Amino acid sequence: MTQAQRLAAGGLVDRSTPVSFSFDGKPFTGFAGDTLASALLANGVRLVGRSFKYHRPRGIFSAGPEEPNALVELRAGARREPNTKATCVELYDGLSAESQNRWPSLAFDLHAVNQFASPLLVAGFYYKTFMWPSAFWERLYEPAIRRAAGLGRLSGESDPDSYEKATAFCDLLVIGAGPAGLAAALVAGRAGVRVILAESDFVLGGRLNCETHEIDGAPGSAWARQAEDELATLPNVRIMRRTSVFGVYDGECGAIERVADHMPAPPEHAPRQRLWKIVARQTILATGAVERSIVFGGNDRPGVMLGSAMRTYVNRFAAAPGRRIAVFTTGDDGWRTARDLRTAGLSVECVVDTRHTIAPDVLSLTGDTAVYLGSHVVDAFGGHGLRSIDIRDAGGIRKRVAVDALAVSGGWNPDVALATHLGASPTWSDAKAAFLATEPPRSMALAGAAAGHWTLAEALHDGGTLGMDAATRYGHPQLAQPRFRTSDEATEVQACWHVGGARSKAFVDLQNDVTDRDIALAAREGFRSVEHLKRYTTLGMATDQGRTSNVGGLAIMAELTGRTIAETGTTRARPPHIPVAIGAFAGLHRDTHFKPTRLTSGHQWATGQGATFVDAGQWLRAQWFARPGETDWLQSVTREVRTVRSAVGVCDVSTLGKIALTGPDVGTFLDRIYINTFSTLDVGKVRYGVMLREDGFVMDDGTTARLAPDHWMMSTTTANAAKVMQHLEFCHQVLWPELDVQMVSVTEQWAQYAVAGPRSRALLQQLLGTVADLSNEAFPYLACREFRCGSLPVRLYRISFSGELAYEIAVPANYGDALAQALIDAGRDLGVAPYGTEALSVMRIEKGHVAGNEINGQTIASDLGLGRMMSTRKDYVGRVMAARPALVDSKRPSLVGLKPVDPAARLRAGAHFVARGVPASPETDDGYMTSTAFSPTLGHWIGLGLLADGPRRTGERLRAYDPVRAGDVDVEVVPPVFVDPKGERLRA
Amino acid sequence: MLNLASKSAFATLRSASSGKGVVAAQRVGMAVATVMVRRGRAAALADTVRTQFGIELPTGPHWTAANGTMFLGVGPGKWLVINDAQNSAFVQELEDKLQGLASVVEQSGGLGILRLTGPALHETLEKGVQIDLAPAAFPPGSVAVTSIAHVGATLWKLDDAPIFEIAVARSLSTSFFHWLDASASARGLSTDDRPD
Amino acid sequence: MRIPCPFCGPRDAAEFSYLGDASVRRPDSSVPGDGLDAAMQVYVYIRDNPAGPLKEYWYHGAGCHSWLVVDRDTRTHEITGAAEAHSGAVS
Repeated sequence: MTQAQRLAAGGLVDRSTPVSFSFDGKPFTGFAGDTLASALLANGVRLVGRSFKYHRPRGIFSAGPEEPNALVELRAGARREPNTKATCVELYDGLSAESQNRWPSLAFDLHAVNQFASPLLVAGFYYKTFMWPSAFWERLYEPAIRRAAGLGRLSGESDPDSYEKATAFCDLLVIGAGPAGLAAALVAGRAGVRVILAESDFVLGGRLNCETHEIDGAPGSAWARQAEDELATLPNVRIMRRTSVFGVYDGECGAIERVADHMPAPPEHAPRQRLWKIVARQTILATGAVERSIVFGGNDRPGVMLGSAMRTYVNRFAAAPGRRIAVFTTGDDGWRTARDLRTAGLSVECVVDTRHTIAPDVLSLTGDTAVYLGSHVVDAFGGHGLRSIDIRDAGGIRKRVAVDALAVSGGWNPDVALATHLGASPTWSDAKAAFLATEPPRSMALAGAAAGHWTLAEALHDGGTLGMDAATRYGHPQLAQPRFRTSDEATEVQACWHVGGARSKAFVDLQNDVTDRDIALAAREGFRSVEHLKRYTTLGMATDQGRTSNVGGLAIMAELTGRTIAETGTTRARPPHIPVAIGAFAGLHRDTHFKPTRLTSGHQWATGQGATFVDAGQWLRAQWFARPGETDWLQSVTREVRTVRSAVGVCDVSTLGKIALTGPDVGTFLDRIYINTFSTLDVGKVRYGVMLREDGFVMDDGTTARLAPDHWMMSTTTANAAKVMQHLEFCHQVLWPELDVQMVSVTEQWAQYAVAGPRSRALLQQLLGTVADLSNEAFPYLACREFRCGSLPVRLYRISFSGELAYEIAVPANYGDALAQALIDAGRDLGVAPYGTEALSVMRIEKGHVAGNEINGQTIASDLGLGRMMSTRKDYVGRVMAARPALVDSKRPSLVGLKPVDPAARLRAGAHFVARGVPASPETDDGYMTSTAFSPTLGHWIGLGLLADGPRRTGERLRAYDPVRAGDVDVEVVPPVFVDPKGERLRA
Repeated sequence: MLNLASKSAFATLRSASSGKGVVAAQRVGMAVATVMVRRGRAAALADTVRTQFGIELPTGPHWTAANGTMFLGVGPGKWLVINDAQNSAFVQELEDKLQGLASVVEQSGGLGILRLTGPALHETLEKGVQIDLAPAAFPPGSVAVTSIAHVGATLWKLDDAPIFEIAVARSLSTSFFHWLDASASARGLSTDDRPD
Repeated sequence: MRIPCPFCGPRDAAEFSYLGDASVRRPDSSVPGDGLDAAMQVYVYIRDNPAGPLKEYWYHGAGCHSWLVVDRDTRTHEITGAAEAHSGAVS
C-alpha cells in the first residue's frame, strides 16, 4: 500500500525502514519511528473506532496518552490487548490491530442505532433504566448492555508473557524528557547528581520533536538528540525510555517500563513490562500540558483533531491529517498550527478564533489565510470523515466551509495529576486559564508547561534552575547555569468551553460519550459537585481519565450553576495515571510462585515415599503417603494411623516454629509469657505451655525444653511461628527490656521428626545404638537431651502428639533428608511407615489435643479444657483480661468430644449444635463442631466441638445441624479424649 | 553409629538460562552461628572479639573479618558469625570463648549461602532488593537483612567488583533460586558447583 | 513508604509490621489493685485517632527484628523519625 497521506519530506520517521502492519486485517506500510496512529493517518485511515455508548464513528483525536477515541485491540490470541491507544503504540513490523466496539464491522455498525435512542442513554441511565424487575438485570439487561456498550475484548486466555519488578534509587527523578526535563537532567547530571530521566515516549524531546522551535540555533529535535547523547555519557544519569511514571506514593514513585511492547513478542527471557519503584530524594515534574478541546456540534467527527496533535503528525511524523484543514482556536496556539500546516504544504481553509483582537505578530503567522475573528465553529458534519463545518461569525451569520480536517485548540491543561496523587487538589488560575498544582508534594517541583509556563524559553529556564537546585542540594560542585537561546512565543488564550446553538450532538467527553446535555441534566438533577458530576455522567473516567474533557465539563457545570471554575473545583487524580497491566503488579509471583514456598529438608525424601503435599502457610507438608493399591486418601490415612498405634511411624515435624531463648532471665520471661510456670522446669525436661494474647484469648501452644540452665527451646505451631516471635520480641524489647534474654529463630537449623508408636523406642535404639539410653528410667516422658553421634549434634525430646510412646528427634537441617531415610531403614523390621499431617490430625483428635481449629482467636484457655493450667501464683500476659466476667461464664462454649449416635454416620466440622426437637436458629445455637475425623482406632467418626456449658453435658444427645452438606446427625457428648484417657501408652 | 550425609541448601538447583551475566557459587561447609550480646556486656564482648579473633566488632549493619571468621551486624547487639575453616567444632569453640558475654546459637544447617558475581549482578539484584546498592550507598563491608521477592535474606558486599554474598533460609532456597534465575535470565545465570 | 530503621537504614514499609499508638503504657499487672482491670481495658482497647503527628510502634520483622517507635503524621504519612522502642534493650 502507498502511504497516500505521507508528506513528501520532513519528519523524524526513518523512511529507509518501512514497517508492515495490519489494521482490521488489511495490510499497510509505515516507517520506523511511526506510532500506529501516525501510520494509519499516513495511509489515509481516518475511521478507527466506534464510541462507547452511541457507537459513533471516531477517528484519531490526539497524539498521546490523552487519546479518547483511537482505542484498538493490539495483537491476536493470548497476547490480545484491548483498549490500547493507537497514539501510544510504537509501530513494529508485523503489528496487527483491530478496531473494537463495532459489529459486524467498523464501517457498518448495527449498534450505531444507539445514537437515535440517546434519550434513553443519557447521564445516569444505568440508574434510571433497567430498574425493574430485578431478575432481568442479570439475565437480560447486563449482557445486552455489556455487548453494546463497552470497549475491547479480553483474550480470555492466560497471559503468556512474563513481568518483572525492580527498584531504583536516585537523587533526582525527572519525569518527562521534553525541553524542561532535558534541561533539568543536563544541568543536574553535569554537576554529578544521580539522575533518573523517565520518558513515556520511545524518543526523548517531547514537544521539541513536534514543533519547529530552535534552541541555540539548532532545530529543537536536533538539540534533544544532542542532549540525549550527552546524558548517555554521564554514568550518574539513567535514561528510562518507554517508561511512564503512573503514580506518586509516599516516598516513592511507581513507573511502568514497556520493555517489549514495541515487538511482536518479548525476546526469550525478556519480560514484556517491568514495574519500577523509584525512590528519589527529589522529583521534577516536567510532564508538559495537554491541549483541551472545545464543545460544539459534531466535535467528535473523524477529522476533528487537537491542534497540537496536528502539529505532531505533520512535524514529527510527516503524516497529513487532512488536505483541506480549518483551525478553530481560542488562543494564539492555533495560529501556529495553521502556520505549520501551511509550511507542510497543506491547505488551511480558514482560522476561526473566538477572540476579537489578535496580536499583529500572531495574525501574521498565517499569511493570506481566511480569518474569522470573534467567531465559532458551531457544527461539524460528515459520517465516517469530516466533510464540512458551520462557522458562526461575529455578526451571528452561519457559513458552511468544506474541509476534511479541523484543528481544535481550546487552551492547555498542565499535566499535574502526579503532583496531586498525595492529596492536594489543583487550583484554578484565571491568568493561565488552567488548573495548576500549587501545592505539590514537598519533594516535588514543577517545570515548564506542567507548571503553566507555556513557552519554550520558560521551560528551559525552569529545567535549568531546578537542575541547579538539585546540584546545590546534593553537594555537587557548582557550575554556572547554562543559558539556552531560544525565541519566546505568544501564548495568549481566552477560555471558551462551549459553543451554543449546535444542531448535532456536542461532546464534552469523547471516550464516555458525555454530551453538553448530559452535563446540563446532571446540573438540573442536582449532581453539581464535580465528584457527583463525574460519577453520574462518567465524565473523565476510563483509559484517558478525561485529559481532554474534565476541565471543559466542569467549566460548563460552573457556567450552568452560576459559579466560577475556581469555586466549582476539579476532581482529584488518583494513581495510576495511565492503565497498568495487573500482571506487572504481580511480577514473577504468579501460578505456583504466587507466594514463596518453604520446603523441609526432608521434602525430597517424602516425594520419594509417594507423599501428597498440602499447603500449611508457606510450607508444603506431606499430607499422606499413598501405597500401591490405595485408591482413597482415607485408606492411606487409616493405615498410617493403625501403623502408629500398633507399630511405629515417622512424621516430619520440622515446620513447627523453633525459637532458641538464651540468657539467665529466660525462666522469668517465660513465666510472664505462658499461663503456666516455666522457671521451675529442670534442665533436660520439656513442658507444654499455653500463651495468651493481651486480651486474654489463647495465642498459641507448644512445648518448651530446657537444654541448659540458660538455653531453652520453644516450639510454636507451624502457623503462628512468626507471630509468636514478634510477640516475644515485643514483650522483651518494649515491656521488659531489663530482662537478660536473647532470642533467635532456629526453625531452619533443625530438621525434626516425630517417631511415634509402641515400637518407637526400639527404632531409635536401633538407630542410635549405645549413644543414648532410652529406657523409661533414663529417659522418661517429657525428658529431653542433647548429645552427639560422632560429630553430629542430635536433640531428642520425649513428647507425644499422637498419644503413643513417642519421641521427636532433631538434627541440623543439612542432615534432615538423610535422617528421614535412616529412620525408615532402622525401622524396617519393626513395620515402620511414614505418616503425614492427616494421620497426625486424626490422632490428635482421638487424643483431644486442641489445634488451630480450636485455638481460633475466639477461645480462652478454659474453653479448651486448659483452665487449670492458668497459674494463680504469678502474673502473665493476658491474665487480667482473661478474667473478664463474660470470659469466665461457665455457659461459654467449651471443648467436648462428640460421637455419632448411629456409628455409621459421618460427622462434619462446621456443623452447629442444637438441642433435639428444637428448630435450628441463631437463638438455639449451642456451639459448633471444630474438628472431625474417622477414628481407625474406634471404627467410627469422632469429633471435637465447642459446646455451651460443654463438660457438664457429657452423655447428652444433640443435633449436629449442617444444612449445607450432611443435614442433621444425632451426636452424643463424650469426654474429648477418645483414646487412652489415662495416658498409659505415652508413658510406656 | 548414626552416620548421615550432609546435603547443602542449593544442592539440587540448576539454572534454566545460559550465559554468565550472573555467576552463583554455593558456599558449603561453613560454620554459622547467631551471636547475641548478654545484657550490659557489649564492651566486654567487643574486647573479647578483638583479642580472640582480631576483629573489631561492628556496631551497625557492617561486617568485619579476619582469619576466615566474619562477624556481620544483623541487628542491635546481634551478629551472624561465619567461619569457612571447615571446622565443625567452630561454633562450640565460639560459645566457649564468649561464655557469659554473648549467647551463641548454631545456625550452620539452616542457611544456604551463595556468592554472586558477574556483569549483570547489579541489574539482577535491583529486581528484588529494595535497598540502594550503589557503591556510594552500599560500599564493601555493608550488610543488609532484608526481603527479596518475599524471601528473607541477609546480603553483604565483599567487593565493588561487585561480589555479594547472600544467605537465605534453607527452606526457601528453591523459591529464592527461582527469583534469582528468572531475574538473571536475560543475561544468563551460571551456577558454579565448585565449593568456594 | 520508606521507614528509616535506626539500625538498618531506610527500608520499604513492607518489611515492617504495624502495631499502632506507642504512647500507651502497659499497666503493671503484677501489682493487684482496684484500677487494674480498667487500666488494662484502656491499654488493650482504647486508642485515640489523632489527625497529625503520632508516635507508633513498627516491628522490623524482615530486617533487624527491632521494635521501633516511628514518628508519623497521620495526615501526610510523613515520617520524621524512628528510634528503637527501648534503647535500653541492648546496652
